[in-house]
Amino acid sequence: MSLDHPRARAASLPATLSRGARAGLFVFGCALLGCNADRPAPAPGVLSISVQQTSAWVKNFNPLLPEGSARWPTRSGIYEPMMIFNGVTARWVPWLSLGATWSPGLQIVRFELRPGVTWSDGAPFTSADVVFTFDLLKRYRVFDGNDVWGFLDDVRAVDEHTVQVRFSRVFVPGFESVAQQPIVPKHIWADIADPMTFINPTPVGTGPFTEVRVFRNQVYELGRNPHYWQPGKPALSTLRFLAFPSNDQANLALIEGEVDWAGNFVPAIDRTFVERNPADNHYWFPLLGSTVFLYANTAHAPFGAADVRKAMSMAIDRQKLVEVAMYGYTRPADATGLSDAFASWRDPESADRDWMRYDVAAANALLDKGGYARGEGGIRKSPAGLPLRFDIHVVSGWSDWVRAGQVIARNLAEIGVDARLRLYDMSAWIDHLQRGNFDLAIAWSGEGSTPYRFYRWTMSTDTVAPLGTLAPSNWHRFGDPPTDELLHAFERTDDLEEQHRLMRGVEKRFADLAPAIPLFPSPMWGAYSTRRVDGFPSAKTPYAKLTPNAGTESLLVLVELRPKEK
Amino acid sequence: MRYALRRLGFYLLAALASISLNFLIPRLMPGDPASAMFARFQGKMAPEAMQALRASFGLDQGSLGAQFLSYLKHVLTGDLGRSIAYYPAPVTEVIGTGLVWTLVLTGVALLMSFALGTLLGVVVAWRRSGWMDSVLPPLLAFLGAFPYFWLAMLTLYLFGFKLGWFPLRHAYSYDVEPGFTAVFLLDAARHAVLPAATIVIATIGGWVLGMRNNMISVLGTDYITMARAKGLTPARVMLRYAARNALLPSVTSFGMALGFVLSGSLLSEIVFSYPGMGYLLVQAVRSQDYPLMQGLFLIITLSVLAANWLVDLVYAWLDPRTQSDG
Repeated sequence: MSLDHPRARAASLPATLSRGARAGLFVFGCALLGCNADRPAPAPGVLSISVQQTSAWVKNFNPLLPEGSARWPTRSGIYEPMMIFNGVTARWVPWLSLGATWSPGLQIVRFELRPGVTWSDGAPFTSADVVFTFDLLKRYRVFDGNDVWGFLDDVRAVDEHTVQVRFSRVFVPGFESVAQQPIVPKHIWADIADPMTFINPTPVGTGPFTEVRVFRNQVYELGRNPHYWQPGKPALSTLRFLAFPSNDQANLALIEGEVDWAGNFVPAIDRTFVERNPADNHYWFPLLGSTVFLYANTAHAPFGAADVRKAMSMAIDRQKLVEVAMYGYTRPADATGLSDAFASWRDPESADRDWMRYDVAAANALLDKGGYARGEGGIRKSPAGLPLRFDIHVVSGWSDWVRAGQVIARNLAEIGVDARLRLYDMSAWIDHLQRGNFDLAIAWSGEGSTPYRFYRWTMSTDTVAPLGTLAPSNWHRFGDPPTDELLHAFERTDDLEEQHRLMRGVEKRFADLAPAIPLFPSPMWGAYSTRRVDGFPSAKTPYAKLTPNAGTESLLVLVELRPKEK
Repeated sequence: MRYALRRLGFYLLAALASISLNFLIPRLMPGDPASAMFARFQGKMAPEAMQALRASFGLDQGSLGAQFLSYLKHVLTGDLGRSIAYYPAPVTEVIGTGLVWTLVLTGVALLMSFALGTLLGVVVAWRRSGWMDSVLPPLLAFLGAFPYFWLAMLTLYLFGFKLGWFPLRHAYSYDVEPGFTAVFLLDAARHAVLPAATIVIATIGGWVLGMRNNMISVLGTDYITMARAKGLTPARVMLRYAARNALLPSVTSFGMALGFVLSGSLLSEIVFSYPGMGYLLVQAVRSQDYPLMQGLFLIITLSVLAANWLVDLVYAWLDPRTQSDG
């Protein structure tokens, strides 16, 4: 089952197996044989985490490499950023800095660094480290995954605890990439000849867990930072990571009590996991992931017409789709396309639109009106005479999306659109999407601390690339100049009220134009057991995201966890 | 000796050809590692960084010919480059996480399956139409036809989960330090029982059937009748006369199978969370990790060739006629 986030994890599974069948077997096996959980308990203070999936661990604690290439604690436990955006409370949490202040012209931002922070080797953390880190990003473009040097002018130390970041243009959304950049120690990294191939075997960081105690192909363990800056924290002594090649193995370990905290998808979790031990076993799957879309390539006829996209959207039975494809773990998306990560931004007026309601008759009427007459076999033809026959591109083996594609294909048949599922390996699939070499595709959308990136991705002319050219976003090639204006204005203000006003305008454009067809917001998988460890966030105490797949945000959880008092 | 050297020359040529193919084939796949990597980062990466990453993978460095030359140079010096899927870990290190485990698990399972299966095949053919002959081959063929994934899952649930006789995962317990200690070796052996047993069960049928059929045709020949007529003991006729000759085709298959030991056993690795080459191979293909693919294919090709060379030698010993025909 590949419902975990990031989607990347799905790639670690062999496509040769039907995941649905495996999940079924897993549930069936537990029901039939009874899952016993009587195993010797590990030592107190140990937290066993299942987050990255692999058959064998390969050492890599380099926090500057693209997210996901290094072992999980690299960004979530060893290295820390100046500030962390809490996606649940939608607030910035001061971390290595006490806060940030914009200059009046919004071109300079100053970070006041936290005094008394030391690296895990005892050396003091200063503004020189921050400047050095951004310098590395400039020298090695691979490290600059967010392209901060595309909008920064310079980063300099004002004094030992003040860093001044000057933007080359007013670009407020750039703040989040700067504030959340993991900082590395200058006194160590300055001597590294080639930081790009540095696997950083003995990391020195400011985070709560920095000491690599064990590193073997099947397990690695991190001990706590002896110099951690938060007094009395972390309360746990050790993080343990066992290697699981697939979700089934990780789930088995979770149910059996070998894993305390898991970010993998668990099928029928109430029955397989919670019911085994209702007092200790819990989960929380908030819809904070990105919205999953059916993208129609607007550069290909007839998807340039908004009415065609809207008719297709109305033909989709989303309620059934989320039940069949997502086990009911999510709900249908609304007409803003926003997931719950942007709940505070959602404009109810734009959210509720006809084209997001399941109404086959209205969909047919819309296509009739557009001149798409039914032809042979009930399949409609475009006014130019071409039958509406398309492929839906889906990644083979991502069983949730494959099921979603099947539901959509059946739904579209009812409005005379002959859509067929085409399964591709992930790299071929992303290549088709990036080059615009597809008609219909199911894929994810943009994330961030504001909907800025999400809408830039879905409907800004700035992100539209010609067909055949690799486009990192906006695969469906949709651009709307009025949206550009609103987004450009958004880049130039830090006033929350004004930001909301502008975003409402963007949402309205989205709801009017239907640039892409939203399906459902993705849940963020998180399950935990309080048998040995306490203090996890949950729906009742939502202080941060429960899922360990939250990158830097998981630091917020790691410092709160503590051994359970008996 | 001359025969052995001549074969060696042939295999060196074959190695050269496969090294070249090894370079070419991954590059014929659609897509490229940078897009695969981009997909893994869910578009969170700026195009500029992507470009830099491509450059650092050496994907933009010159023509295919230039890439081939640098590839050859690296292969000859034993430098397999850096993996892309596990960037920046060197390919040798990535392969190192699974090589030994695959070698031991798949190797031992193959040896057991071959030895046991061949022996059973001999006995079954010797006692043709006995109860063993009517029960064993169909039963084993049935088990072999069973989807391996189900077989492994079922074994895992029964003996690992339900009965708790064997560990559920991994090649050794996480609290045991690997090394040549009795504790570790025992622990590792206990962990290997289930995966090895399932591989043996799934593959033994083929060896039994193959050997049985060979035996039966050999048993019909004149020299067996002659041996019996001479009054040799049945055991001697069965093993020295019949089995030795019937073994030849099985040895060929064994050589092939031996070579493929290093490609690992993907499904057993997945089900039992066992480290190994099968998983790495799939991972490499899915991420279009050219260096890792090349490294793995290189090792697999070379071991197939080496195994075949050994089989040639064994063949020559079993059947001296092959030497003169060359």
